[in-house]
Amino acid sequence: MATATDQLVGFGLVAFSLVLFVYYTLWIIVLPFIDSDHGIHQYFLPREYAVIIPVAAGLLLLLFIGVFIMFVMWKSRKHAKKSD
Amino acid sequence: MTKLAQWLCALALLGSAWAALALAPPGLQPPAPLRRALLPLPVYLLVAFGCYSLATVGYRLATFNDCEEAAAELQEHIRAARADLRRRGLRLGDQ
Repeated sequence: MATATDQLVGFGLVAFSLVLFVYYTLWIIVLPFIDSDHGIHQYFLPREYAVIIPVAAGLLLLLFIGVFIMFVMWKSRKHAKKSD
Repeated sequence: MTKLAQWLCALALLGSAWAALALAPPGLQPPAPLRRALLPLPVYLLVAFGCYSLATVGYRLATFNDCEEAAAELQEHIRAARADLRRRGLRLGDQ
């Protein structure tokens, strides 16, 4: 059995990604087929944001990964110099 | 055919199908709601794949079988082995 924290975090991730998936599916796939005067449209941002937000988040992720790799490589270079 | 080639072929096929529908001239376009759902489809599939990956990682984290006694026993073995080797003169890195 995984520890309680592990289970909490794990199932939290599952719930979060489920919510995100359902919301995004409704936004992209279902909403175009619903009349524009239906009340459900008030819960969703304008459609451009459905593309802008994931792309921006993806770029941020790539930036973070790149910075992390740079950091780790810089640290290991200093260590190699020390042990020489 | 390698797996990479298979994936690239499938990607090219789906990509060209999407492009054909998305870039169709006004006379051949699919009906308006369908077209509005179709255009962001690559981004949608990417986000869906991301959600699936996150859910899989979370689920496997939550259902992983820790064996705490085995872990403690292993640590004990490691300690005994290190003490033994140190006694016999081997210089060990620290940890």
